[in-house]
Amino acid sequence: MEVNWAQVLFNSAITGSLYLIGAVGITLTYGLSNFPNFAHAELITLGAFIGYLVAEQLGLGLPLAVVAAFLITGAAGFLCYRGIFQPLAKRGATIIHLMVASIALGFILRYSMGAAWTWEPLYFSNVWPVSSLWSHHDIGPLRVTGLWLWLIFAAIALSVIMHLVLVKTKIGKAIRATSSNPELALASGINIDRVIWITWFIGAGLAAIAGIFRAADTQIWPMTGWDIILPIFAVVILGGIGNFYGAIAAAFIIGLAENIGVVGLVALGLSTTYRIGIAFLILIVTLIIKPQGLAMLFRRA
Amino acid sequence: MDPLLYVLDLIVYIGIFGIVALSLNLEFGFAGLANFGKVAFFLIGAYSYALLSQIGLPFYLCLIAGALISSVFGLLISLPALRLRADYLAIVVLTFGEILRLIVKSESWLAGGDWGIAVSPAISLMGASHRVNALVNIGLVYLCLVICFLVLQLLANSPYGRVIRAIREDEVAAEALGKDKAKYKAQIFMLGSAMAGIAGGLYAQYLQCILPGMFMPMISFTVWIMVLLGGPANNWGALLGAGLVELFDRGANIAKDYLILPVDPSNLQYILFGVLIILVLFYRPGGLLKESQIKTKALELARYARGTDKNYRS
Repeated sequence: MEVNWAQVLFNSAITGSLYLIGAVGITLTYGLSNFPNFAHAELITLGAFIGYLVAEQLGLGLPLAVVAAFLITGAAGFLCYRGIFQPLAKRGATIIHLMVASIALGFILRYSMGAAWTWEPLYFSNVWPVSSLWSHHDIGPLRVTGLWLWLIFAAIALSVIMHLVLVKTKIGKAIRATSSNPELALASGINIDRVIWITWFIGAGLAAIAGIFRAADTQIWPMTGWDIILPIFAVVILGGIGNFYGAIAAAFIIGLAENIGVVGLVALGLSTTYRIGIAFLILIVTLIIKPQGLAMLFRRA
Repeated sequence: MDPLLYVLDLIVYIGIFGIVALSLNLEFGFAGLANFGKVAFFLIGAYSYALLSQIGLPFYLCLIAGALISSVFGLLISLPALRLRADYLAIVVLTFGEILRLIVKSESWLAGGDWGIAVSPAISLMGASHRVNALVNIGLVYLCLVICFLVLQLLANSPYGRVIRAIREDEVAAEALGKDKAKYKAQIFMLGSAMAGIAGGLYAQYLQCILPGMFMPMISFTVWIMVLLGGPANNWGALLGAGLVELFDRGANIAKDYLILPVDPSNLQYILFGVLIILVLFYRPGGLLKESQIKTKALELARYARGTDKNYRS
């Protein structure tokens, strides 16, 4: 069987880009608040539905939908933290209780969305400028769509912007300081509550962007986020919790592993439904062998 | 539907999930292990039962074998768990459950893949009605439940139970007293998984079919709700939680058929589950029932001497 390796690499970049955008929020909030927010899956889904609401149901176009989804989901993420996780942590809830609370919150969000938009899959239809995004173009051996190019562009832009924010700006430095040593950050006059709130807002907003891309590429239903949450956790863990640069590397490693893995599965005559299992396997192996992930290779940020 | 049969069915469900809730209570309540993949061991028990009963083993051997296979997997999963933080353990076990579901879904030669396979009931009486079959199942399920409950009650009040509570509270202190935390955690995982395996086998033979869609992560979270609601580290609490959650589930199903609500009750049910858990975490983190007191002869004697024990007061 002839394998189009250029396409495999390109597909890896697409998968990795999606996972990266979804993972940034989890890895930063995990690093700051010290628990994995399972409700991040539902924030991804919420972004997709808000995007659908604005672009399709209100007919305001995709660009506005992306902005609205970012802001509304960001606000939802902030409210989740401010309303539930922060007060629980102040009452002395353990990490297990916080995880359970995030799953419970996920239930509330997921089934509320199920009630609002039903469980039937929805699709972005061909309204401008979306219609141009799905048509296939063949560039040499590659088959690309505008959507995929946008996705890769978004991931690169995100990486550059986040890097600049984390290194150059005051808030970025505050995020890094709070993540590595909250007490010292507090003593240095950083308002750590505000830093954590802003991080939850940005993280949830980025989840919404990932949700819209995922929804545009496949479908929207209340499980849109849950379908990709475990590979995203694999990215977070492999990259090292709270480590943005590690997450970039991990996203593309897992993208490559999944897409090369599919080629391998076909060659071995196994079902391609195992594709998602590749990320699961990386997740488990990382946790067993080296729970700190790639963090030792990168500066903590 | 026959209302009596509906009630009997509910009782069977409470029994089966009561066993799973007891096993999670052992792991999380007593030993503090965050097993977010309870469904994995439930699945192993169910598929072991189904496959073994196909080759003609009697039902009790199928149940026992399911428990053993499940406990072997429990041991395997506990090996990394010994070194991992609670959050890592939770993610590992959750993912393990999803991998297992993926395998039984993809390997259609094993157990019918997505379509599942039929399972023969444990005890099939010739020409018995549905009601009689449900009653037979109640007998079988509750026999297993009572055995599990008694084992856990004895365990909780034994020196062993005190050691695992000590490990939950302070691993370092327990180790300083010479308790091998790795050994205890592995044993707890094996026992908990074995119980979940038995429940899985009972579930498979009661429904008389199994398919991968029955083993979604939702099952694990439902069991967590039962334990947190009822009261961790209290075996009565786990049973109370299982009863309440199953009743709630049925209530929502009935509401779906008879009430006209603005929100579809099957969605509303899970929204309420979520709200309930968050309320419990906020206002009653210990659950409805408090952690069970440790009962020992020495403590009884001490209470007697102080005259504070009601049972001994003259």
